[in-house]
Amino acid sequence: MANPIHDIVIAGSGAAGGTLAAHLAAAGVDVALVEGGPKIDTRVAFNTHAMPFHFPNRAIPTMKAGKEGFFSERARGVGGKTLTWNAVAWRYSQRDFKGKSHDGAGENWPFDYKDLAPYYDRIEREIGVCGNLDGLEDLPDGVFLPPVPMKCTDVAVKNGAAKLGVKVIHVRKATLSRPRGGRPACHYCGNCMAGCDVVAKYNSADVHIAPAMKTGKLTVYHDSIVREVIVNQENRVTGVRTLNRETKAEGEIKGRGVVVCCACVQSVSLLLMSKSRLYPNGLANSSGQLGKHFIPHFTGGVQCFLKDFIGKPPANDEGFLDHAYVPSFMHSRKRDYARSFGVQFNYQNRRSTGWTRSIPGFGKSYKQAVTDRYPAFLTFSPYGEMLPNAKSFIDLDPSVKDAHGLPAARRHVWWGSNDLKIFADMIEWSKRILESTGAEILSVSDEPRTNHELGGARMGEDTRTSVVNSFCQTHDVKNLFVVDGAVFPSASEKNPTHTIMALAARTAEHIQERLKKGGL
Amino acid sequence: MAKPEERREALKIIGAIGSTCAFPFSADELYAQHQHDGPAATLPSQPSFFTKDEFAAISRLADLIIPATGTPGALAAGVPAYIDYVVSRNPAAQTLQRQGLAWLDSHCGKLHGKRFAELGEAQQIAVLTPLLEAADKAPLPAGPRTGGLTPRPAWKASTGVKFLHAVKSLTADGFFTSKEGLVETLRYPGNTAMAEFPTCIHEH
Repeated sequence: MANPIHDIVIAGSGAAGGTLAAHLAAAGVDVALVEGGPKIDTRVAFNTHAMPFHFPNRAIPTMKAGKEGFFSERARGVGGKTLTWNAVAWRYSQRDFKGKSHDGAGENWPFDYKDLAPYYDRIEREIGVCGNLDGLEDLPDGVFLPPVPMKCTDVAVKNGAAKLGVKVIHVRKATLSRPRGGRPACHYCGNCMAGCDVVAKYNSADVHIAPAMKTGKLTVYHDSIVREVIVNQENRVTGVRTLNRETKAEGEIKGRGVVVCCACVQSVSLLLMSKSRLYPNGLANSSGQLGKHFIPHFTGGVQCFLKDFIGKPPANDEGFLDHAYVPSFMHSRKRDYARSFGVQFNYQNRRSTGWTRSIPGFGKSYKQAVTDRYPAFLTFSPYGEMLPNAKSFIDLDPSVKDAHGLPAARRHVWWGSNDLKIFADMIEWSKRILESTGAEILSVSDEPRTNHELGGARMGEDTRTSVVNSFCQTHDVKNLFVVDGAVFPSASEKNPTHTIMALAARTAEHIQERLKKGGL
Repeated sequence: MAKPEERREALKIIGAIGSTCAFPFSADELYAQHQHDGPAATLPSQPSFFTKDEFAAISRLADLIIPATGTPGALAAGVPAYIDYVVSRNPAAQTLQRQGLAWLDSHCGKLHGKRFAELGEAQQIAVLTPLLEAADKAPLPAGPRTGGLTPRPAWKASTGVKFLHAVKSLTADGFFTSKEGLVETLRYPGNTAMAEFPTCIHEH
């Protein structure tokens, strides 16, 4: 079989890879999309509507029996993490891009909100994002489908927060509140993160990749784990070396340019694994910056029962998980730390009953106490912005191999004093809001834990302190790009996927223009 | 809060989807996906880890922790078989179960000259009350992915208290994830298809 040379090889098929593949293929670019996992039929492959008692250990597996997917971080499936994401879709604000200019901490992005705004618009029009126009300075509005009503318990929290001058808004999600583009509206079964089986929730496989196949310009190589990006003597990348997930057979996919979109940690680890004579410390790492400035979001939770709902009949409010949000409100308040936090809440699933262990007592009274509290259970999960520090980075484990025999990636996280100040304050505010709502608090996190991995190949103008430029092109190799959370120079407190997709759209346009002008 | 029947008025099962739908399924198929009354997983009636006597004691404990009331209890929900299933597959948990059951019998022997299973219900409850009160003071487990931070100090408690903490946790897990617990007792209302999500019209 001939081994064609594609215009662009994209490693990873999630939010970034899927967007890039669709946009480039639509523009007539010959694209190879390489994914470590299998092709997944989202209609039938996930255990979307299963109940815990269908399984002897009561744990619902991601895939149905006999269906393949979600083998490892490197081999989830075509669609990547968008298959099981919660679909929260915020725009970052000017303050998020230029945080350092406001408080001197962290690093600025090398562009302004207005530079990315048209791409947020485009993504919202393409994939459908529901939300309310709130007119907030730190959470720009966009092109939205109507918001989904808040749950009764959300309204209670909204009223409790209002007493403290804190605003609660409708969540914004890449889940359809109205039928659109051949996709049905959400039916509020509450199983978004188990894999939506009707594509009401955006996933890159069904919304971007499958339609792009019709262009005839896109080739998807699934079950092909990218183990190396190949660079030649002329300092140009020429494609990727792959490992077949099942047979372990080596392969090569050639391209005139390569985009790495494997999700933050795996993208960094792929570049670190791609050692060559030119780049003995990893590809595009002449600055030694690759892996540094790892800035995952940190979260922590408060579990509680809203007193007004104790003893009431349970409502069918699984919905599409969280319907409301506490946007960052600290920027206008006096505080002793840089940056801020926002709060996602009420996204527990009513099939998760682990909290029942923690209700005291036993016997009839215990059973009644649990039953009474069941309709009132609510989780509060604030998310804070981490600042980069020297002790937080990604590297390769020198001895441990992953499921595919490749070096395992390591995440080193150390919380700085600013991080811990935000953590303490976001927990304090969470308790304050819940108490104002009238809540019986069950548990409070006492330490931060990571979520939404960001940084490691950060974007910047200074080639000594960053890995890629504002178009996600590596400083070292002109025809190599990295597009995903790894390039974020600062994290904001907001869920990052929408910004990753907007970056992918902007990079796709940049690549396409350069190809038109004669090549990368 | 509204009564459930009031809320239900606002809900409809999706009967049709857009004619432009690109996905190859009919409305009936979509509806069929939301019939969730599938068979519950069945577990063998004979324990694989516990001996016959041990299993009887575990069953009695589960029954006392979550009894049948107007709704089913731990026995009807098959909780003892669930506990055996989990413990048989979790070597790290086995020692505590075996030692704990032996400790409980010896504890009852000292107090009443009988094994736990031979005591009457009032005596069993009297034995368990202080132990489960102490077990309720166990710290909550650390969340996942703590980023390698400060290790939690080990929980200092006796074998008996640790054992009953484990049995209560397993009983709660097994019961409230069972059909009898989740659906028939807690009245889990979700996992359905709604035409639209209802607006809250209640006073809060």
